[in-house]
Amino acid sequence: MSDLSPVHASPQFSLIQSKGTLDWAYASFILASTASVMDKEVELFFTFYGLKCLLKDTSGLKVSPLGRPEMIVKSPVGPEWFRKVDWNQKLPGLVWSLPGMSNLATLGFKQQMKQQGQMSVEALRETCLELGVKMTACQMTVDMMGLQKDDFIDGVEFAGAPSYFAQTPDTQSLFI
Amino acid sequence: MQRLDLTGLACPMPIIKLKKFLSQNPALQDPFIVEVSDSGALKDIPAFCQQQKLNCELRQSQPNIEFQVQRGADV
Repeated sequence: MSDLSPVHASPQFSLIQSKGTLDWAYASFILASTASVMDKEVELFFTFYGLKCLLKDTSGLKVSPLGRPEMIVKSPVGPEWFRKVDWNQKLPGLVWSLPGMSNLATLGFKQQMKQQGQMSVEALRETCLELGVKMTACQMTVDMMGLQKDDFIDGVEFAGAPSYFAQTPDTQSLFI
Repeated sequence: MQRLDLTGLACPMPIIKLKKFLSQNPALQDPFIVEVSDSGALKDIPAFCQQQKLNCELRQSQPNIEFQVQRGADV
């Protein structure tokens, strides 16, 4: 007999964050906060470089077009035609290896997010915690990278992959 | 009618603020206006409302997007 009852959305959402760049930090925190206000129980597991998303000092969260041909790099300032140019397509990749380029790209990215009406990654992270998003830092990678618990924001738990799998749904999870 | 101005905010802030507004006004049964400028909200606000069992009606889409939202209605 076929089951005709409506399909209910999963009450849980989980995500494994392995990337520690500013753009991917935004992606995860945006998804997590959205899922949380839509009444999902949200579990984020941070491993390897993703741990950077949880540090008190966020100066290490950057974006760089170096080695990332997929990135779209546009200027948040200047005349209309100038802001339309994707500099990652126009300029040779070598340019992004020049000193100061990752800071410039990061500054431009932050400016663009601000113009979009997006808040800072720190504020977005704080919002996630306020909404009850659970964040776990992978203990093994914390130790491996020589990080201390003190380096992390309050509200983060420390555990390993078994704890993550014990607490997460079997329906939906993402790897970022 | 009460008006919730969420213009200038990008996804997911409009629905986070809408949810906060609802939890801060647990007794509110009257319809209220939600104003947003994020074009994605045109689909996202109704989707959120459907999931949260709120009645949601698009009132205008130019220059800003306006929805009339109300609790407890049939969805």
